[in-house]
Formats: sequence, C-alpha cells, structure tokens
Amino acid sequence: MSEAAITVSGLRKSYGEHEAVRGIEFEVAAGEVFGFLGPNGAGKTTTIEILEGYRERSGGEVSVLGVDPGAPTRAWRNRVGLVLQECELDPLWTVAEAVSLFARFYEKPRPVAETIDLVGLGDKRDARVATLSGGQKRRADVAIGIIGDPDLIFLDEPTTGFDPSARRDAWNMIEGLKALGKTVFLTTHYMDEAQHLADRVAILRDGRIVAQGRTEELGDDLGRRTVIGFSLNGSLSAEDVRGAVPTSQVAVAGNRVEIETETPQPDLYRLLELAEQRGVELDELEVRRPSLEDIFLELTRAEAQES
Amino acid sequence: MNDRGVVLAQARMAILVALRTPRVLIFTAAFPLILLVLFNSIFSKGGNETTTLPGDLKLSAEAYFTAGIIAYSVALSTFATLAVSLTTQRENGQLKRYRGTPMPPWTFIAAQITRASAQALLMTALLLGVGAIAYGVPVPASTFPAFIAYVLLGTAAMCSLGIALSAFTPNPDAASTIAPFSVVMLSFVSGVWIPVDQLPSWLETVGKVFPLYHLALGLQTTLAPGASGTGLELGNVVVLLIWCAVGIRIASKRFKWEPQAAKA
Repeated sequence: MSEAAITVSGLRKSYGEHEAVRGIEFEVAAGEVFGFLGPNGAGKTTTIEILEGYRERSGGEVSVLGVDPGAPTRAWRNRVGLVLQECELDPLWTVAEAVSLFARFYEKPRPVAETIDLVGLGDKRDARVATLSGGQKRRADVAIGIIGDPDLIFLDEPTTGFDPSARRDAWNMIEGLKALGKTVFLTTHYMDEAQHLADRVAILRDGRIVAQGRTEELGDDLGRRTVIGFSLNGSLSAEDVRGAVPTSQVAVAGNRVEIETETPQPDLYRLLELAEQRGVELDELEVRRPSLEDIFLELTRAEAQES
Repeated sequence: MNDRGVVLAQARMAILVALRTPRVLIFTAAFPLILLVLFNSIFSKGGNETTTLPGDLKLSAEAYFTAGIIAYSVALSTFATLAVSLTTQRENGQLKRYRGTPMPPWTFIAAQITRASAQALLMTALLLGVGAIAYGVPVPASTFPAFIAYVLLGTAAMCSLGIALSAFTPNPDAASTIAPFSVVMLSFVSGVWIPVDQLPSWLETVGKVFPLYHLALGLQTTLAPGASGTGLELGNVVVLLIWCAVGIRIASKRFKWEPQAAKA
C-alpha cells in the first residue's frame, strides 16, 4: 500500500445524547477509489463532513492528506475537491460562468473548457444552470469539485437521480479521475456502483464499521461462498452431483442445482469431468460470487435503523 | 493568489445575477423612481421651502422627498438585498460549497457588500439626478461632500445590518418578507413618506432610535439651501456609526454558512 491519503482511528461524534459515529477506523491509500457505504442514518454524512473539514469530531484521530481537517487551511483546501449532496448552484449562472468563478478560488485550476468537456457538458457550457436536468446539474457539481485539480476528491452520492446511461458516463469519468492518480472517497446508495468503481469499501452501520476490505474479497473475508449453479438433464442425478463434490453444500430445487463452495475451482473441474463422462451438457451453468449488494443487505438488514 | 481579483470576480457574478432577476430590478430600481415621481407630483408646493427640519431648517417638499427616497433606496439596496440574497445562498447550500474551497470567506462578504453598495450608489445618482433635473432640487456645493458622506455611512450601516439580519432569517421567504417590510415600516417614522414635523413626538422618538431616520435627516439637511457649515451633524453620524458597529458585531458572531432548514 502506498502512502495513505486518509487515516482515521477511533473516530467518534456525538450530537448531545446521540452517538452518530462510535469509534471507527480505516485508511484510504493514495490513488485508490474508496467506497464508503451504509444505510441512511448510519453515520456516513457525519463522517464525510468531518473528513471534509465541515464538522468537529468528538474524539479520535483523523488525518486527510497529512492535515487534521478539524483545522482546515487554505493550502489544504487547494488539494481537496468536494462534491456535496444537496447543494445548488445559482440557477441564473451559466455553466461556464459557474465553473470559471470556482476556478478563480484555486491556485492551479484545471482549464475551464476542458473540465466542462470532461464531465460531458460541452454543449451546455452557455446554458443557465436553471435549464439543466438533474443529471446535468450533478455533472456541473462534479466539474466544480474537480476544477481545482485536487489530489483527493470527495464524491457524496454523485449519481443519485441519474438514468442508467448518465450513470455509466459518470462511472467512466470517475475511472478517468483514478487514471489521473486522484484519490476518490465515494459514498453511494448503489451497490453496483461501489462494486464497479471502488478498490476497497467500508460498510457502516449504526456508527460502526461492520465490514471493510478489497471489494472483490469482502465476501470471502466474511465467509461468503461462491455459488455454482446449473440445471440437471440427461442421466445426471442430484446424487451424482453430491458424490462428485462431497465437501460442498448442494441444494436442489426442481432440476436446478446450486452448490455453495469454498473450493470453486476443483469442484467445477470435477463437475465438468462428470458431465464429460456422462456425455451431458450442464445447462445454464453459472459461477456466481456474492455481490456487494448481497453482502450489504445481509450486514445492514438486522434492525431497521432509519433515523 | 490575487484576493482582490477573487472579490471582483464574485462581485461581478452577483451583479450578473441581479441583472438577470427582473424582480430585483423592479423592486429596488424601478420602485424608488416611481415613488420619487409620485411623491413629488402629489406634494409639490412649486419649489417653495415649506418643509421644516428639526433646527428650523427649511427646504422644498421636492428636496425633502428626494432625500428621503434616496435614504429608503439605500436601505433597500443594501440592508434588504443582502439579507435576502445571503439567506437564499445559505439555504440552497451555496455558502456551504464556498466554504469547502480555498476562497477566503472575507472575499465573499466583500463581494456581496460591493454589489450592494454599487446598487445603492447607482440608485442615489439616479434619484438625485431625476430630482435635480425634473423637480429643481438644489444640490448645494458646500454640503455636497456631506451628502456623499451620509450616503457612504448609511450604506455601511445598512450593509452590516443586512448581513446581521440574514443570520436570523430561517429561509428566503422569511427574509424577503421581513427585510423589505421593515424598511417600509421604518420609513413611516423616519421622515421618508411623512415629514417628521407632522409625526406625534413619541413616534418620532421611535424613529430616532433607528439608522434610517438619521440617514434621511442627514441627506435632507445637506439638500437644504440654508444648511450651515458642512451639513454634517454629529448626532446623525454617531447613530449611523453605532448601528454599523452593532451590525458588524452581530454578523461576525452569528453569521452562518450552512443551511438552517430542517436537518436529518
């Protein structure tokens, strides 16, 4: 792991009696996309606002680009880009006017026209903000978030309200930021988005981190298994399958077989060998790893915690 | 980085927004002009010096109302405009976004004051010009520097009070009711719509507490041909300065950058 962009340890935040964040710990490496996930009321916004320098913490240590965000400096603000939730631009500005204004605030801003093109608003540069669609406004927010050419970018639910194609475009853009070597701290409600974009994720529940790790390994770490599924046909019976993979769990529903396994590769090899010997095709064969969504729902389901 | 450039860029954007908002132009630019024409048409006594200021200074109804409406317009352009626009920008999250950038907060406030002051000075020039040309309002050279001084002092006091008020108005609707309405109400006891010598003395006493009274009276004095000396009176200057200081004090303690609307 290279130098850390963000390190957090023992972070706590109380609002009066209510403890919104109860001692969390994580690290974000420079150059990675870090997904910060959790249901509403889990403490996501509180945490991100502490990291962004908006909120004071009640306890713990936090370092963002080597600086304590509890005492934000102008030099530090120059290196951090924010895309906030619920934050409008003046509807009477044009896109180019808004982006140019924010460019003036930074020491070494990116070129305005190029940045507007990057977020896909090139043909809207002279349109007033009021005339933009929700997705286009969000792209303008992103343009303003990156106009200062920051090293670290906070994206707080950047694609909420996007249609699928706009979401794809946003993903490409975020991948582009990563390619430029930027560190991205991403919160999102969409698990497919986190799965697609994040190198690592942390899942927050009731002010605590209940899981964190590399996105593709998170399921393994939590003991979630790979599933091999197919449909029985020809002379192949459920018993044959059980005999072939004795160490794995085989569930049969109708003629659909699902094998939960910790050893997918040898299991798959034996199954294919068996099918070959019998001269049958394994219909509708699939190998499925647990999706981030499955894991998220399981970890955050327990009690309803909308606050 | 050039902070003065940052102030000017923000002021320019604020002015652009004002120019693109017909409501602003109608209420803060057209209305005072219409009022000036109305009052001078209704109450004109053919330029005779029939209105009496405290201290037995006499001036024409035209000069009296022109000066009063300039005071009213300054208050509207600065106090009301700032309270409404700052509350709006705070509640829709613009101020929070600004605070997340390296832009120094003072440059934002300076830009807003620049925009409001520009409007106040422009309206003053316009109203005084119309008053002088169309209604023969005299502009005595000896007291003109004092006239300018009052406009600047009034602008400063009203700016600081407008910024202070924005800390207490929870949403743009509240701000756009409270701020202009309080200017209109105060105008009744400040010698803008009605000469103070026609007010019951307790009402005049109420008016004297607030800065609009002293701004209006100061401007009226400087437009009275018989005004002695520079036309600058210590009482008016002191009250305006005190209100300016009160506004700065409250604003610096209470000004908020984050939306105040119901939070989760």
